[in-house]
Amino acid sequence: MSDPRASLLFALADDELILGHRLSEWTGWVPYIEEDLALSSIAQDEIAHARMLLEILSVIDGRDPDALALGRAPGEYRNAILCEQPNTDFAFTLARHWLYDHADDVRLRALQESSFKELREAVAVMLLEERYHLEHADAWFHRLADGPVDARHRFGEALATTIGMAGALFEPLDDENELVDQRILPVSMEALADEWRARIGGMLDEVGFDQVLTAHAEATTGEMVPTSTGEIETTEGTELRAPSSGAGGRRGEHSEHFEPLWREMTALYRAHPGATW
Amino acid sequence: MVTVALVREALAAVKDPEIPTCSITDLGIVHDVRVSAERIEIDLLSTFAGCPALDVIKRDVEQAARDLAPEVEVRFINAPPWTTDRLNDGAKDSLKAYGISPPLLQIGRAQSVTCPYCGSDQTVEESAFGPTPCRTVRYCNSCRNPFEGFKTKR
Repeated sequence: MSDPRASLLFALADDELILGHRLSEWTGWVPYIEEDLALSSIAQDEIAHARMLLEILSVIDGRDPDALALGRAPGEYRNAILCEQPNTDFAFTLARHWLYDHADDVRLRALQESSFKELREAVAVMLLEERYHLEHADAWFHRLADGPVDARHRFGEALATTIGMAGALFEPLDDENELVDQRILPVSMEALADEWRARIGGMLDEVGFDQVLTAHAEATTGEMVPTSTGEIETTEGTELRAPSSGAGGRRGEHSEHFEPLWREMTALYRAHPGATW
Repeated sequence: MVTVALVREALAAVKDPEIPTCSITDLGIVHDVRVSAERIEIDLLSTFAGCPALDVIKRDVEQAARDLAPEVEVRFINAPPWTTDRLNDGAKDSLKAYGISPPLLQIGRAQSVTCPYCGSDQTVEESAFGPTPCRTVRYCNSCRNPFEGFKTKR
């Protein structure tokens, strides 16, 4: 039987690795230099965090961290499908960044209490660096939500279409019962998802992103939610976007966007196995 | 006989490759040194996990220690987490000599940062992200020079 810690480490590491790879695609293309530095630095941090996690996993799994990062078949990656989506445009990139970094913050804070010492120690380091990512994501959230009209509209649309998929960051893990019982994962993914939804729901409400809140409610429970205008909107009768839309990543099921990314990310490793640089 | 003090003294000569005025001992990267008759073990902390200089620092540390003992083991550890509180006053001077303002005591923008060139405190943060993971980009409104600040981590 496999070690339950592996399923948690694969999920955490692969999210950071794949999102880091996607963000690195912005290097040299961002409209201005400070933001180019920001997205490139965040990509660098995420890939470094993946390395820290894979170094821990390496002891359990036996493969070295490079082989774990670059030597697996596509179906062995456990990142959420959100992370592998193409960058599309700046609005989508920042919407995903905001949704992801709040989700990551919620789970890393919970893991500060993990019974798994090596993971707890890595998480302490990661949180010190992730706070800059969160600050960056929130700064853009407020800047775009405050307008001008086109920016606010495009950011709102990007959030509304992405929020369901982002919920799948909390898709249940293999061996989750065991992970929770042993307090390796002290809080279930479902409870973490609730915490994330409450947190981002409050922020969306503050800036009056009603259409995002509606998508948020549809994507999660289908229950009625109060919006900032005080009305109660119900999703009854509308087609629900189930929380599982965008799910599957934790089982190794990916979207059509994963394989091209994987081919590029692993090209050097596959062409020159064991290369060092 | 090799002593911990001797090893630390040798390590004080190892500089951060990206801040050549700054010793790794001043940066607080050297966490623990253990010595026995034949062997030196050194635990290092990474400033930022994504720092590309880590491999170079490890290699330089190994080289410095190998002059003192035949067996050397150098590794990076995650606990305790490195923070900018570990910088000593020597690091603050050597950062400034390289044109980098030292880290703040707290994270936040409402604090004055002195320009390493002209000494004015009329400076602003242009970008929290700079040319390396450990640096920010700032601008001095007084002498009108851009400069880098060491990123606060705590």
